Amino acid sequence: MKCRFPFAVAAFSAAIVALVATSSADSQPAGKPFKVALLSPGPVSDAGWNALAYEGLLAIRDQLGAEVSQIQTKTPAEFEEGFRDFARRGYQLVFGHGFEFQDAAAAVAPDFPGTVFITTSGNTVRKNVAPIRFLLEESTYLEGVLAASMSKGGKAGVIGGMEIPSVKSTILAFEAGAKSINPDFKVVTTYVGNWEDVGAAKAAALALVQQGCDFLFHNADAAGLGVFQAAQQSHVFAFGSNKNQNGVAPEVVIASATIDIPQAFVQIARAVQGGGFEGKVVRKGMKEGVVSFVLNPQLEAKIPADVKTRLDQTKAAIAAGSLRVPTAEF
Amino acid sequence: MSVDLLTSLLQTTITMAVPLLLAGLGELVVERAGVVNIGLEGMLLSGAFAAMIATFFTHIPLLGLVCGCAAGALLAGLFACVVVGLGGNQVVVGTALNLLAIGATGVAYRAIFGVTGAALTVDGFALWPVPLLSQLPVVGALFDQPLLGYAAFALVPLISFGLFRTLAGVKLRMVGENPRAAAAQGVAVRFTQTAALLACGMLAGAAGSYLAVAYAKTFVEGMSAGRGFIALAIVIFGRWSPWGVLATSLLFGMATALQFHVQALGLAIPYQFLLMLPYVLTLIVLAGYAGTTRAPAALGTPLDEA
Repeated sequence: MKCRFPFAVAAFSAAIVALVATSSADSQPAGKPFKVALLSPGPVSDAGWNALAYEGLLAIRDQLGAEVSQIQTKTPAEFEEGFRDFARRGYQLVFGHGFEFQDAAAAVAPDFPGTVFITTSGNTVRKNVAPIRFLLEESTYLEGVLAASMSKGGKAGVIGGMEIPSVKSTILAFEAGAKSINPDFKVVTTYVGNWEDVGAAKAAALALVQQGCDFLFHNADAAGLGVFQAAQQSHVFAFGSNKNQNGVAPEVVIASATIDIPQAFVQIARAVQGGGFEGKVVRKGMKEGVVSFVLNPQLEAKIPADVKTRLDQTKAAIAAGSLRVPTAEF
Repeated sequence: MSVDLLTSLLQTTITMAVPLLLAGLGELVVERAGVVNIGLEGMLLSGAFAAMIATFFTHIPLLGLVCGCAAGALLAGLFACVVVGLGGNQVVVGTALNLLAIGATGVAYRAIFGVTGAALTVDGFALWPVPLLSQLPVVGALFDQPLLGYAAFALVPLISFGLFRTLAGVKLRMVGENPRAAAAQGVAVRFTQTAALLACGMLAGAAGSYLAVAYAKTFVEGMSAGRGFIALAIVIFGRWSPWGVLATSLLFGMATALQFHVQALGLAIPYQFLLMLPYVLTLIVLAGYAGTTRAPAALGTPLDEA
C-alpha cells in the first residue's frame, strides 16, 4: 500500500486544482451575473415534484439569463450545508424544494443577507426567507370529488412518501372532496417511508386494493410510479401528482393535480433580480393559474356527464374563491 | 382472515423476499470465501438499471436479466481487482462502489432519458403459473411467479449442495477460514475469491433485475432503497447458511407485506412503527435462537495479513 500513497495524494491534489481552476473560470464576473441554485430532496429525474423544480430552474436560466446550479440533498445537515455553500459562492437566490427545508433556510439566512432563500411550501418567513405555498389541495379536492362520485366500493387508498405537513394537507383536501359527495366515503392512507422505493410503493398500493380501494392517490414523488404499476395490474384508477402524469399509464391515470412550478419560480426570480423581493408567504393556487386539475382525455369518456358538470362547477367555485378548500395549517 | 387476504399477503411476501434472497445468496457465497462485499447495494442498483435499459430498448426481459447480471458482475470484477488483486480495504472499496453505482446509474439514466426523467414502463417477465398447483388457494401464489422467482428458490438447495457437498465448495470454505492453509494445500486463493465475487455480482444483478423488470417494471434512481444492506444483514441473521438466508428473507418479506396490509386496514397506529416492523420482527425472531455457527474465520481480512 505504502508505495501507492504518494500517487494518490498527487492525483487528489491535481483533481482539486482542476476543480478550483474550472470553478474560478466559471465565475469570471462581467458585471455581476444573476446566480440561482436549487436544492432538491430527491433525484430530479422523478418525472414529478423534483423534475418540475428543475424545469423551473432551467426556465430561470433561459428567461432571465441566470447562471444556475442544482444539487440533491437528503438530510437536514445537507440542506443547511447546501444553502450555506451556494450563499457563500455568491448565489443571490437559492430554492429549497419542499416543506422540510424551512428550518435550514431560517438558520442560514441571517449569515447571508445578500441571498434570498425560498422554500416551496412551509410558513417560515424572514427578511430574506419566504415560502411559496402551492395550493395543490385545490386540485386534490377535485380528485376526491371525482373518486367519490365514481367509486363502487366507497373507498380510496392514498400512498404518501413521508408524513410531512404538505403531503398530509393534500390528503386532507382529497378526503374532504370525497366526503363532500359521500359522507361515508373512506380514505385509507399508507406511507412508504421514503421517496424512491418504487417496489415498496407498489406493494403498499396492492395492499390497499386488496382492502377494497378502487381509486389510488399518491404523493410520493419517484416512488409514486410504483402506484401506477399496481393500478395497471389490478385495474383500478389512479391520480397523478404534481406533474401531469396522465401519460405515464394512460389506461389507469384518470386525472392529475398539477403545479406550474416553472412559472412561479420565474416570477419570484424576477422579483429577486429586480430588487422587489419581500419576505412573505406567496400563495399560488388555481386562481393564479399555477395549480390545475387535468383530466386524462383518453379516459374522459368513462366519466358520467353529471360528474363532469359537478367537477366543472366545483372547479369554478374554487377559482372564484367562493369555495375554500380545507388545508392542514402549517 | 379471508383467503384473498392471505393470498395477497403471500404474494407480497414472495415478491419482497426474492430480491433479498438472490442478493443474500450471493453475499453468502462471497463471505464464505472470506470477503465482505459491502458493495452489494451498488451491484443491485446497477443490475436494476442495466436490466431495465436492456428490457426497455429490446423488449426482451431475458436479455435484460443477462445485462443486469453482467452489470453486477462488472462491479464485482472491479471490486475483485482492487481488493483481491491489490489488497485494498474491503469496506472502503465496497462503500466506494456503492457511491459509484448511485452516481453512474443516475448520470446514465439522465443521459438517455433526459434530466427530468421519463417514467419508464416495461411489460416485464411473463408469469409461469404451474398447472393445477397455481390454482390452489393461498399457496397457489407460490406457483405463479416469473421464472427468475422459481430460480431464486431453486438456488437454495443448489448452493447448499455446492458449498457443503462438493470439492469446490470445500476449497471455497477453506479460503474463508484460513487462506494460508488453503494456499498450502494448493488451493488458488485469489482465483477462488474472484470467482466467488463474480458469482455474487451476478446474483446481486439478478436481484436488481427482479426488482426493476419483474416487480416494479420501472426504474427510479436509488430504487434499491437499501435492499443490498438488508441482504448483508440477512446473511448474518441466516448464519451463513443458504437455508438460513432463505428463512430470513422470507421472514423479512413477510413482515414487510404484513406492515403494508396493516397500514391498509387504516388503524390508528403511527405508520413509523409499522415501517419498523420488518426490522424489529427479524431481530426478535433471530435473537431468539442462539446458534453455535460463527462467521468464517478469515472474513474481511486482507490476504496479506491472513
